[in-house]
Amino acid sequence: MNAPFFKYGLFGDEASLIVAFLIGIGFGFFLERAGFGNARLLAAQFYLRDLRVLKVMFTAIITAMVGVYFLARIGFLDLTLVYLTPTFLVSQIVGGLILGAGFIIGGYCPGTSCVSAATGRIDGMVYLAGMIGGLVGFAEVYPRIAHLVKMTPLGQVTLSKEFNIPYGLLVFAVVLMALAAFVAAELAEKRFGGKEPDSGALLTPSRKLTPVRQLALLFAGLGLVAAFAGSPYRDAFAKVDTKQLALDAVNESNQVSATQLADWLIEGRNDYLLIDVRENTEFAQYHIPGAVNVPMATLSLDLARRNERIVFYSNSDLHAAQAWLLLRSLGFQSVSVLVGGLDQWKSCVLFPPVPPADAPPKDQIEFAKRAAIAKFFGGTVQGVQSIISPSAPALPKLTAPLPAVVPSDAPTAPTPKKKKEGC
Amino acid sequence: MNPYWAGFGLGLVLLSSFVIMGRGLGASGAFTTAVATAVHAVAPAHASNNAFYSEYLGDGTTSPLKDWLVFEVLGVFFGGFLSGALANRLKLTVEKGPRVSVLVRLALAAVGGALMGIGAKLALGCTSGQALTGGSLLNVGSWAFMMCVFGGAYSLAWFLRREWL
Repeated sequence: MNAPFFKYGLFGDEASLIVAFLIGIGFGFFLERAGFGNARLLAAQFYLRDLRVLKVMFTAIITAMVGVYFLARIGFLDLTLVYLTPTFLVSQIVGGLILGAGFIIGGYCPGTSCVSAATGRIDGMVYLAGMIGGLVGFAEVYPRIAHLVKMTPLGQVTLSKEFNIPYGLLVFAVVLMALAAFVAAELAEKRFGGKEPDSGALLTPSRKLTPVRQLALLFAGLGLVAAFAGSPYRDAFAKVDTKQLALDAVNESNQVSATQLADWLIEGRNDYLLIDVRENTEFAQYHIPGAVNVPMATLSLDLARRNERIVFYSNSDLHAAQAWLLLRSLGFQSVSVLVGGLDQWKSCVLFPPVPPADAPPKDQIEFAKRAAIAKFFGGTVQGVQSIISPSAPALPKLTAPLPAVVPSDAPTAPTPKKKKEGC
Repeated sequence: MNPYWAGFGLGLVLLSSFVIMGRGLGASGAFTTAVATAVHAVAPAHASNNAFYSEYLGDGTTSPLKDWLVFEVLGVFFGGFLSGALANRLKLTVEKGPRVSVLVRLALAAVGGALMGIGAKLALGCTSGQALTGGSLLNVGSWAFMMCVFGGAYSLAWFLRREWL
């Protein structure tokens, strides 16, 4: 099994909303348990009297960070599929400062204000109303300040990549930093808040290995392992399960027929990526509408996300099948090949043969549909004479692909039944 | 609840979101969607012409409220309520320091909320979406953001001591 489950298609959009609600319940529950429904407790952070904001936040961060690292390291979680918000450094610095001001003035942040409003705090409800006002105000002036919003784009980048520090080492450093911050926080609480460390504190006077100390030790230990355990990203040196691959190779769901692909294009489906692995010059001469050109030799890990549906084609089957094998072994999940390649595309979709005059009505109807589809893609019907003397049909004159969006007045052939193979 | 264990629980919720969904937690985005939907309902043309609203309105095939963050935030309200109810902490009240009137506190709450809305949009996220989520993914922008949130709040704390202490 591969994670993230949603991105590998384990469940759909509708179910994801139920997941969202359940995850939200967990989020809200622990925010409330942490005392974050109370603005005074939150604000105490900034007078060094009660630093639970720092403790809760950094414990949550190191828990998720260490978890993500090890789940990715063992190959269970594909870290490239976990969404990373792009960095716009100056915008985020300015936004952070404004947000910090809003935090100390209003007493909440968006998440905590929900919890506070839900537990009856009127200040939390007013805060939410203020936030909605702020959003409307921002939206109204947005057209004039749009250029300020996305300043200094650095892309989707981690500290590890930006500063060229091994990811695992950084995990260890953040864990150590957090543990040091917890000790400093407890010292500050004692000095400014007059709070003696209780049994749940790291600095509790007892020498016993309390549960909280065990947790701290566990993270320190895991962090140390992470520092030496290598990169959490999967790389180009793939480990291949040959048995599984052999089974997949004979599975017909890895194949797309020319007529099937034509249907998808006419329906305007956009849940797949059509890739032409021929050379640029061949691509320029003719390609299937909507296809992207990625010559065989330039195929790499960065081609697409591993959960994306990809359909390869080349002139015949050969290169497409090779590309299929390459990407499957790199861990791409949903890769298929256009059966028969462009050759089949031409003979089935662009130039469908006219059936003999005595063909049953069923075939005649089928042919009418094909003729409409051929016209849609700029091809013509292959005359009876060319069946008798099968000379190769001329290449279509098309050089530019049709627009990706199918016009509404496109041929309205009743959606043909999907056929697995053949014309 | 001990803050370390609450944080641990929160971290596990965040981790499960990464594993199940491939995304982290959020809050402010849901309110933006709600605001955009409301404005669209009142003044459709105005909302569609505004690049900010239209980004949150989707392609019109489904309701923009059928959104992951919207459902997640509904869960946050429910989870917070549940936890508060179980611990007997549900109470209609105003949280404030003893030296400030209710009216001033509520006015400041509204101002703070408005600033938060603006800041979150500039930063592409709030404490949930940026600090927690991006922090645990070692996101460059999130760490810069986090430091600035603490910096901004600490630098103004002295001026607002009457509100809280």
